[in-house]
Amino acid sequence: MIDPFVDVVPSFFATLNQGPLTLTLFLHTIIVLPMFWIYKAEKKRLEEES
Amino acid sequence: MSRKVVSVWTSIPFWRKSAAWVTGFAAILLIWLTFDSMSQISMGTDTDLRNGITKRVPAPTVINYKITYEMDIKRGHEVPKIGEKEKFFGRDDWSEEEASSLLRLGKLASQAKNCMNCHTLLGNGAYYAPDLTKAWLDPAWENYILMTDSKTKEEAMSKFLQNPSMYPSHERMMPNLGITQKEAMGLVAFLKHMSSIDTNGFPRNFGRMSLDGKTGAIHGK
Repeated sequence: MIDPFVDVVPSFFATLNQGPLTLTLFLHTIIVLPMFWIYKAEKKRLEEES
Repeated sequence: MSRKVVSVWTSIPFWRKSAAWVTGFAAILLIWLTFDSMSQISMGTDTDLRNGITKRVPAPTVINYKITYEMDIKRGHEVPKIGEKEKFFGRDDWSEEEASSLLRLGKLASQAKNCMNCHTLLGNGAYYAPDLTKAWLDPAWENYILMTDSKTKEEAMSKFLQNPSMYPSHERMMPNLGITQKEAMGLVAFLKHMSSIDTNGFPRNFGRMSLDGKTGAIHGK
């Protein structure tokens, strides 16, 4: 899945960018995952308040 | 004790926190990407060239070397390859200062004559006239060596630039812009350096448009 690095100047994003989707999927994943935590924390807070 | 049913989706603090997280993360990501791009586009040095270290944007002294355009199977497009020493206007020992000032003159001339009004340079400009990003590598210049009675490609390009309307080029003929000999030399150096920049295969299919390696890759004839 992860191919050897072929770009000119090494970079973290170039390593992630293995194809048109990999960087997009990675960024969306790390943006969305903490939102589950925000949702759960908020739910807990609302339940405790009510 | 049973918990009351609550609605997180209608909670304003939830949306506020989510928006803060997404905006904050995007801001940090953009700052990181800016610095990442800066390392990608920073110009190499003459020492890099002599030691065969590849940079996306090589040093100005790349004009002392032969540049070819070769297919890279792994990357799926052509990449510029810097080869052996090659004479540029009779010299292959242009110093870093000389090469830089020549490129600077060429860049300023390209701006003063508004090349981008018709041509495209590194993605900026118009498509009325051929894309100049890889113009130095265009095999069509071979014909201009004969046409302009020159010995080298750079001489032919320089003569063409000084008097474009004298040489039939394109259906949309380039007008005479009053380019001087010195400016033409700078412009040719500017184009040679530009062709050595790794542009991830931009413009697309430039190398494949010339099937016989003789007719133009830009003109696609």
